[in-house]
Amino acid sequence: MLEFRTAGFNPYSVKYSPFFDSRLAVSAGANFGLVGNGRLFILNLTANGIVCEKFFETQDCLFDLTWSEQHENQLLTAGGDGSIKLFDIGVGEFPVAGWQEHNREVFSVHWNLVNKGTFLSSSWDGTVKIWSPERKESITTLPVHSCVYSAQFSPHHPDVVTCVSRDSHLRVFDLRTKPSAQNHLTLAIPIHAPPKVAVPGYGNVSAGPTECLTHDWNKYRDSVLATAGVDGVVRTFDLRVPSGPVNMLTGHEYAVRKISWSPHLSDVLLSASYDMTCRVWTDGSNVDQGGNGAGLGREMGRMDRHTEFAMGVDWCLFGAEGWCSSCAWDERVLVWDVREYMRPA
Amino acid sequence: MAAERLSSIVSQLTPGQKPIDTITQKNPDDVVITLAIRTPLCKAYKGGLKDTPLDGLVFKILEQVVRKSNIDPQMVEDICLGNVSDSKAAYYVRAACLAAGFPNTTAASSVNRFCSSGLKAVQDIANQIITGSIECGVAVGAEHMSTGGDRLTRPFVDDIVHSGTQDAADCLMPMGQTSENVGKDFNITREQQDLYAAESFRRAEAAQKAGWFDDEITPITVKVDGKDVTLTRDEGIRPNTTFEGLNKIRPAFPEFGDRSTGGNSSQVTDGAAAVLLMKRSKALELGQPILAKFVGATVAGLAPRIMGIGPSLAVPKILTKFGLTLDDIDVIELNEAFASMAVYCRDTMKMDYSKMNPRGGAIALGHPLGCTGARQICTGLSECRRRKAKVLLTTMCIGTGMGMAGIFVNEQLD
Repeated sequence: MLEFRTAGFNPYSVKYSPFFDSRLAVSAGANFGLVGNGRLFILNLTANGIVCEKFFETQDCLFDLTWSEQHENQLLTAGGDGSIKLFDIGVGEFPVAGWQEHNREVFSVHWNLVNKGTFLSSSWDGTVKIWSPERKESITTLPVHSCVYSAQFSPHHPDVVTCVSRDSHLRVFDLRTKPSAQNHLTLAIPIHAPPKVAVPGYGNVSAGPTECLTHDWNKYRDSVLATAGVDGVVRTFDLRVPSGPVNMLTGHEYAVRKISWSPHLSDVLLSASYDMTCRVWTDGSNVDQGGNGAGLGREMGRMDRHTEFAMGVDWCLFGAEGWCSSCAWDERVLVWDVREYMRPA
Repeated sequence: MAAERLSSIVSQLTPGQKPIDTITQKNPDDVVITLAIRTPLCKAYKGGLKDTPLDGLVFKILEQVVRKSNIDPQMVEDICLGNVSDSKAAYYVRAACLAAGFPNTTAASSVNRFCSSGLKAVQDIANQIITGSIECGVAVGAEHMSTGGDRLTRPFVDDIVHSGTQDAADCLMPMGQTSENVGKDFNITREQQDLYAAESFRRAEAAQKAGWFDDEITPITVKVDGKDVTLTRDEGIRPNTTFEGLNKIRPAFPEFGDRSTGGNSSQVTDGAAAVLLMKRSKALELGQPILAKFVGATVAGLAPRIMGIGPSLAVPKILTKFGLTLDDIDVIELNEAFASMAVYCRDTMKMDYSKMNPRGGAIALGHPLGCTGARQICTGLSECRRRKAKVLLTTMCIGTGMGMAGIFVNEQLD
């Protein structure tokens, strides 16, 4: 396991570069991101462990980052002061571009994986904004009216945007539709709806709305998403049957802050939680590998080396299927192999 | 902004925690009360405390604080006196605390927000503890109304008088006039006021007979007409007071109205009360008994001409701040400056009368202005202990148009 200490700063998000197999970026804030500066660390995995290649300082905490899909040295940050900044690793100590439209903290940024020319941001001010790096103003603003913790472009369709928010809903927007009164909103799924098939062990609890903090698209099955939030349950949804979750993966004792589907295996996902563990799950859909079918997921392993809230996870695109990175408020970024923590079924 | 980020993270950790659980939760940094005592309340001019001016009163109550709390006086870093009438209050509290057994390393100050000064003194010490300025302090509320001095000696300057602002001019309005304004504006009849007053006397009399006041009152020995007398009982409570008797009394402010009388208004009284505060962690370290937790207090302003309705603004304000409703409150101490405002506040806020002033109020007990805020805490907590109830709300109207409210959680439940 490799470790890097973001001394003096508490990390919020970690992402592997899509261009270089040994490059990572971590966005962090001083004082747990409550008040003080932010820092963007550019890290390299070398024979000597994790080395910090460069860091950028910002006025306020950085809650999220996303690598550019167009330019191998550029990345975007989501700032607590409502700003989105584009940094270039080869250029100085200041961002090369910046956008300030959000009224409140920007909680997530995501680059369009298919058309690569746009990116989006979501904010506590209840909006998701679509931008282009060439334009100074946002292209579209999607109103959600509730703090949006996480928003993403679908990796399968360049015009589909999803977001999850404090009001316990997963919203799907299709930018190809006319704006009209719905503002591109096509589906609004209540995350707390009961599952279609009763999940053993979870049937008795009637879940009320809970804040949803994170979500991620499955990289192989183009209608499957997972969400997770304050009640500690990871839910998978299939947009073809949107009335309720397909899977409910329980086990985390506190809120789940980040989830990420594996880029290599269609049924595996990783979560990071305030209970200081990062856990690997299968949603059971990979019947070749012994899965019993979607809807019967289970926990496959957990890593509990973090000693504070685990805030971010990301899978490595290159190399072996199990390599991943996690970051937590204990000021550590850990790079590890999921397979070392798997338990027998 | 940082506070909002923090509270959003806290709510992610404890989703669905009800506000009542949040305020009753025990945290090491809570401000707690380890002693709450008061002198008997005596009639001004002719009662047991008539010959004990403010410095004497403060001295007596602070002596009792040292004696009853078993605290090492060196631990007390600040004493705050709430007092309205005496401009020399700060001298008196400083000298009195030094004489009562506190070392000169214990500081002292005084505050004045009229009838809420006692609660403001508690809030002052609590705020200092919360911000880390001090670790342990005493809040005192004391008033010697026998000496007088609570009215202005000259009118306001021309700038204020001729400002054209009615509210500024109304700050000169006598309290009796504001009571008649409340009675007229909100249609609180003479009958309603006398009924309320009779009930206040009845409750106070029953409480006194049953000995309920015994764990609030600390007896003190003072000089009355040159002789030593030990005071043990509140003197304002007139036994066998009836509605018929009250209804015969002539209006006290005939030039302003005919509903408020000496019988349905708060009495003019001398008295003092004290509250010892520190952090919960400190109380555990020193072995001090934890009586209650101070949750918070707030103030609200309104038109001076109807100052009596103050609680009807301050109470919703403080409940909203903590996400509570009146149903979450077990005991309410609402200061009865006048029956007019007591009836208005009770009925407008739909207070459960069985929870409100169960031991009577200022109409029967008296209202030593600066003392009341602290006195309500003593009475309210004693009643919470008796009922094995948890949440106490204290509130009062304030002359010149304000209202204050405070929330406490009783922790002595066995």
